[in-house]
Amino acid sequence: MHSGNYKLALKTMRSARWQSALTMFGIVVGIVSVITTVSLGEGIKHQVLGQINSVGNDLITVRPGNVVDRDSNGVITKINPEYAYGFGSGSLSEQDVAVIQGVKGIKQSSPLRLLTGSVKTENREYDDGFVLGSNADLPALLQQKVEFGIYFSKGEDTRQVAVIGKRVAEQLFQENVPVGQTLTIRGQDFIVRGVFEEFKPATLGQGIDLNEAIFIPNESLKIAAGAAAPVVRVLVRPDNPANTKNLANSITSAVREAHDGQNDITVLRQDENLVVTRGVLDSLTGFIAAIAAVSLLVGGIGIMNIMLVSVSERTREIGIRKAVGATNRQIRKQFLAEAVMISFVGGIIGVVLAYVVNFMIRVTTNLHPIITWPVVVIAAGVAISVGIIFGTIPAIKAARKDPIESLRVGT
Amino acid sequence: MPIISLKDVSKLYGFGDATTVALDEVNLDVDAGEFVAVMGPSGSGKSTLMNIIGLLDRPTHGGYNLSNRSVAKLRPNQRAKLRRDKIGFVFQSFNLLPKMNVIDNVALPLLYKGVSPVKRLKRAADVLERVGLADRQYFMPKTLSGGQVQRASIARALVNDPQIIIADEPTGNLDSAASLIVMELLSELHRTGNTILMVTHNPELTRYADRVVYMHDGSIVHDQRTPLGELPNLANRASFLYPRRSEEDDLAGVSAMMQFRPEKTTKKPKKRKTIKARKSRKTTVRSKDA
Repeated sequence: MHSGNYKLALKTMRSARWQSALTMFGIVVGIVSVITTVSLGEGIKHQVLGQINSVGNDLITVRPGNVVDRDSNGVITKINPEYAYGFGSGSLSEQDVAVIQGVKGIKQSSPLRLLTGSVKTENREYDDGFVLGSNADLPALLQQKVEFGIYFSKGEDTRQVAVIGKRVAEQLFQENVPVGQTLTIRGQDFIVRGVFEEFKPATLGQGIDLNEAIFIPNESLKIAAGAAAPVVRVLVRPDNPANTKNLANSITSAVREAHDGQNDITVLRQDENLVVTRGVLDSLTGFIAAIAAVSLLVGGIGIMNIMLVSVSERTREIGIRKAVGATNRQIRKQFLAEAVMISFVGGIIGVVLAYVVNFMIRVTTNLHPIITWPVVVIAAGVAISVGIIFGTIPAIKAARKDPIESLRVGT
Repeated sequence: MPIISLKDVSKLYGFGDATTVALDEVNLDVDAGEFVAVMGPSGSGKSTLMNIIGLLDRPTHGGYNLSNRSVAKLRPNQRAKLRRDKIGFVFQSFNLLPKMNVIDNVALPLLYKGVSPVKRLKRAADVLERVGLADRQYFMPKTLSGGQVQRASIARALVNDPQIIIADEPTGNLDSAASLIVMELLSELHRTGNTILMVTHNPELTRYADRVVYMHDGSIVHDQRTPLGELPNLANRASFLYPRRSEEDDLAGVSAMMQFRPEKTTKKPKKRKTIKARKSRKTTVRSKDA
């Protein structure tokens, strides 16, 4: 009886091909978009987690704003997304930088200052990027190699030189090695000294691509800015990796003392940094997946609509079936099976298509989305439950039809 | 012991003023093995009676015993099961499912009984052979002639070995040759012991029946047993004794209503309501007289 219902449902779907295909389309789109967004998020997360060794486990990042809440043991309990995404701004001052650099046990440190505004060459303008002021320790702190040219060294703090990310080279200069060329930041000319190797995504936090950054010495940035530029990060590396935690704690207490006990800056070790990034990614992925899930809902309403039409179209069939002895329950099951079948087949097509989309993304972009089994299983489950949820009302409607009235229809 | 026993069965449609009496306290006993022809003008309640006997409908008042069991108060799914096991329907408009082939259509009642597919098809094939459609099993209904489709639907009615076969104008959509084949088939079923109730407009077909019931305005006005092959002697007269509601009746009704047409005055709507009520009282009285 059960398998009979589903076979019958397939038969009915085949006899109304266009109708079924269009109805399924809603479910297919929903499933594809949910799986794709989740797999993109998953892929980025995977890439970010791979960086734990690339930057080094002992890097300490000081960020403005209250990015995380901690319990009394210093374990992160909550991530505050309003501070966690992007650079953040405000609460780190020049004095704080001095306080941080004054803490004992630091091997290398560099403040990062942000300068906004477009960057120009003689014939091109570049709006996507940003200018970061730093010092000579930066490549060592980020453990990032300069691919072409050299970074500026100590004592070159006032030189008008720049080291640029790969994307800047490609888009502003349209060549791979623009070393020796000139770019203009707020009317000041800087000579390109070097080009970084490609940065891994989200090295300094989610939403920041260092491949689009132009690094210039801190002092010359101050000159170009004409005023104090906001400090967005202070990167610190301890002289002994074993002291990372202690150093982080003493930086926290030193800055908090300078801020009169206000909890408005955040000191993160690299592993915590990853926790934060992962948290931000998860909530972002969840948010986008939720938007994508709306299309599943719409697909479900499409199923309901079509099933309601189908029920009224097939009133006579229902009457005949009831006359030969079908119970209300058997009619209900028949129509429910049809709705479930549509959503199930749609779900399968959606999963297959999601794999195709995944492949296309891998081929055409540098993203590496990852489809995990739980996502596929959940998506398929959601598809079937959409069928059940939105198929129930039409099925009940079909089952409740009066046999005599139904038999009278169409004669 | 009658297999069908209706006691004071009434069926009303609508509420209040708009109530129509489709069946008016009908008493009918049908014994097992009878072939009952039900005749009467349109709107006389034949189909309603068949629907109630066939458990598609339930009476507003009165008792109905099917094989000595009261069925008037059964729940819908119990009625569906009784319908499936004890009653076979043959309709004027055949009512085969158009998207299913003949053998699947015939096997449909067995599907709802929960018979396994192989047994289902075997049983359906047997019945189709009995009605002479063994070579049309996998044809779609629309590729068959009307007579063949009606025979297929008789096969569907028979597939569960029902005690009662209800045929609502089975030859209404057939030419005389096909009618003959269908009627011979029904009469053969009658010979083998089935109880058959058949609604018909054609007095000639009552030759196949051994009992003729004539209905008018929701009541049985004539009930006669006749030898097989003969016309009932009173059936034709009954149609003169109780003529159909004529055009004159309708005109009389309209003029009666015209008397109570609201005047073109500035009366408040409340007044109108009372007029309406009075009118309806009057018309119900009139219909009782008729």
